Amino acid sequence: MSWFLFILLSVMAIGGGLGVVATRNVVHACLFLLFSLLAVAGLYVVLLTEFLALVQIFIYGGAIIIVLLFAIMLTRSKEYPSISDNSQWPLALVSGLALFSLLTATFVVNSSSFEEMHRVALTDLGTTLFTDWALPFEIASLVLLLALIGSIVIAKVERRR
Amino acid sequence: MVTLMHFQIVSAALFSVGLYGVLARRSAVLILMSIELMLNAVNLNLIAIASFTDPERFAGFIIAIFVITVGAAEVGLALAIVLRMFRNRATVNIDEIELMKW
Amino acid sequence: MIGMEYAWLIPVLSFVAFPLILLLGKFLPGKGSSISIGAIGAGFILFLFVMVDRLSNGATEQAFFKIDWFTVGSVELTWGFIIDPLSVSILGLVTFVALMVQIYSLSYMKDDPRFNWYFGIQAFFAGSMLTLVLADNFLLLYIAWELVGLCSYLLIGFWYERKPAVEAAKKAFITTRLADVALLVGILLLYKQVGSFSMSETFEQAELLMAGANSALSSGTTLIAALLLFVGAMGKSAQVPLHVWLPDAMEGPTPVSALIHAATMVAAGIFLVARTFVIFEAAPDSLLIVAIVGLLTTLMAASMALVMTDLKQILAYSTISHLGLMMLSLGSFGYTAAIFHLMTHGFSKALLFLAAGSVMHGIGRTDIRQMGGLIKVMPLTALAFGIGAVSLGGIPIFAGFWSKDEILLSVLDHRHPIFMILVLVAVFMSALYMARAFFVAFMGEISDENRKGHEAPVFMAIPMILLAILAVTSGLLALEWTDSFRGIGSFIFAHEGHGFEFNLMLGLGSTILATSAFIIAWLIYVKGSISISPFKRTFAPIISIAERKYYLDSAYQGFIDRVVLVFSSLVAKFDRVFVNDFAVNGVAESVKRSAFTLRHHVTGLIYNYAFVMVVGAIVLVAAWWAIAVKG
Repeated sequence: MSWFLFILLSVMAIGGGLGVVATRNVVHACLFLLFSLLAVAGLYVVLLTEFLALVQIFIYGGAIIIVLLFAIMLTRSKEYPSISDNSQWPLALVSGLALFSLLTATFVVNSSSFEEMHRVALTDLGTTLFTDWALPFEIASLVLLLALIGSIVIAKVERRR
Repeated sequence: MVTLMHFQIVSAALFSVGLYGVLARRSAVLILMSIELMLNAVNLNLIAIASFTDPERFAGFIIAIFVITVGAAEVGLALAIVLRMFRNRATVNIDEIELMKW
Repeated sequence: MIGMEYAWLIPVLSFVAFPLILLLGKFLPGKGSSISIGAIGAGFILFLFVMVDRLSNGATEQAFFKIDWFTVGSVELTWGFIIDPLSVSILGLVTFVALMVQIYSLSYMKDDPRFNWYFGIQAFFAGSMLTLVLADNFLLLYIAWELVGLCSYLLIGFWYERKPAVEAAKKAFITTRLADVALLVGILLLYKQVGSFSMSETFEQAELLMAGANSALSSGTTLIAALLLFVGAMGKSAQVPLHVWLPDAMEGPTPVSALIHAATMVAAGIFLVARTFVIFEAAPDSLLIVAIVGLLTTLMAASMALVMTDLKQILAYSTISHLGLMMLSLGSFGYTAAIFHLMTHGFSKALLFLAAGSVMHGIGRTDIRQMGGLIKVMPLTALAFGIGAVSLGGIPIFAGFWSKDEILLSVLDHRHPIFMILVLVAVFMSALYMARAFFVAFMGEISDENRKGHEAPVFMAIPMILLAILAVTSGLLALEWTDSFRGIGSFIFAHEGHGFEFNLMLGLGSTILATSAFIIAWLIYVKGSISISPFKRTFAPIISIAERKYYLDSAYQGFIDRVVLVFSSLVAKFDRVFVNDFAVNGVAESVKRSAFTLRHHVTGLIYNYAFVMVVGAIVLVAAWWAIAVKG
């Protein structure tokens, strides 16, 4: 059962990814991204970490995709709706394949037999997050604040006085 | 039986696809999307490893949460820059943004 | 009582005078000349004290005074003076003649705009020359040697607005510089073997060598060193073929010629050979070469003096000829005679030059063909010139006779008869050209223009008178006077003192030669009873060679043009092409060009940069994998 789910979700994720990088239509690309992200969320469920799957759906699916769509809307140029790839795509292909083979080789070689998935209790996760990892947590919130302020500053429209 | 290796291979594949997207796409927004793909791949890897190996400390999960957080922040900021760029040059085609060349 | 231990003051006073004159001279009366004359005058007085001290305390011994200067490694450099009969005698010569010349210059250079610079250099020269004479180690000698050459350069080219003066100064400096290289090599050679610059130590080793005992010097080295030192002496003392600078040096002011190119600086070479005589004696072949060069010089210069028409040039070639005579004397073991002649010649030649200067001052010309009968307008000058001419010509009683005679004696005693014959020819010629100069310039008819000439003013006359007195009387130093001074032969000598010797035949012979020369000249130039045109016709080719200075000048110039300048243009080309364009500029060029090519990697396109980053990352991962995983 988990095999079947795993294969299905993997195919969806990778297919969605391929769609993002192959399609000519930007909006389609965005939707493909959403698709892929949701598939990844499903994979998280297979991995018995439902909480993170939820987080994934909320943040990525809820926030980031929306923002991306807004950006696409606001930056419409005459090249819409079809955007081709740029001039170095063969090189990109080669490097992508190279990296994939490298990583796969690593993972295959290093695979000891990890077979057991164990479930994580949410309360334990929360406790660790706010005690052992309190400092990175605070810093992460700072990062978000900075990003907020920064994006406002950068994207602000200057009024002529 | 699904093992860690399988999840990692999926993650590697997603990462490579994202990499191709970063290097080959022409619109700035599309590049950002590919970056998100890469981040996701990394997350998958982390969580898979944590799920299979780390019963006590949950380091992988925590880090994955932080990756999501920082990824979101980064997207917001990057898109602000893209908007600015579009306002100045009326295009998001990175082929046409090459002022700082020799 | 001031004694020998203050002798070091003599040069130091003049050295100190130099900056004082330059800094303060303008504000003092006499514009600095007072300082200079004061310094040299004090030097002369000190010399007198030293002389007296010497005579009463064992006249012929040597005394040393030394200050350690500094030590570099194992090399010790000292500032030391040696007081022995040789240095004392030359000290007297230099201080007296310098004093006379400086007093003379008060008048001669009166209106010159660079008056105080002139006196400054005069003082500097005096200091250097005196140091040279008193030096007790070779390094100090060499330093003083070079300084003297520098002063000569500065004074020859004193009127540097005139191109001939500049060229003459350069010629003098370069010619003597070449010789000085040989001198330096010789000094270093000696240093290498003896291990010290000290003259006394070197002489000790030379004496050991002569005695056949174990010495630090080997006979081969000693010969080479002696010859090298002699080459250095040849430069300063204008021996053939390095004499070419001296006639040109007449471009300088006449007092300068009197001082430097008659009495003192040119004497430095003779002095050097005399001072290091023991080294020459240890390698006797070197003395033969010295004698031959001296003989050649004296003959060639005398022949050239006979055909010159410029008064100062005649005197210049006469100086060269007499210097040759002195070298010949040294080469014939006539140590005493050479130094004695150095002194008498110094006084007489200085007198002659000062008289020539007076002639120039009086009528503004130096070509003897434009002179004649000058005795009518400047009798004192004529008398002075006459005394000098007679002295150098070798007429008895006058100083030159005595010293020349001593030289002839040593040539007779120690050298092959051919030397004797040729030197007698030279003696005849020297009398002849001096007589010619005197008679043509001062006797006969005076032209209307020359009638307007005037006699020398007081400050020019007094030195001439004093030098004339010495030119007459200094010969008598040869004789025995007191118990402690038995003639100059017992004062200055190489090995043993000797009393006054006189070979009657020789003295008579030389007197006859000199007198007949004077008579012949009188007959030719004054009376006109003998015509020299047939003589001129027969010897026309030789005369023209002599007039063209034996083509030596053109030979030197040709060598410079064809060898030296070619070589230097080659070197210049090498420097320009290889060092400059290739090495220095080339490096910069290549950097520029490579930067020009490499800058194209900055395409401005982000994806290019991203790709490079990815490649880098992949490489790193692969490397890590290969090292850490595969191991």
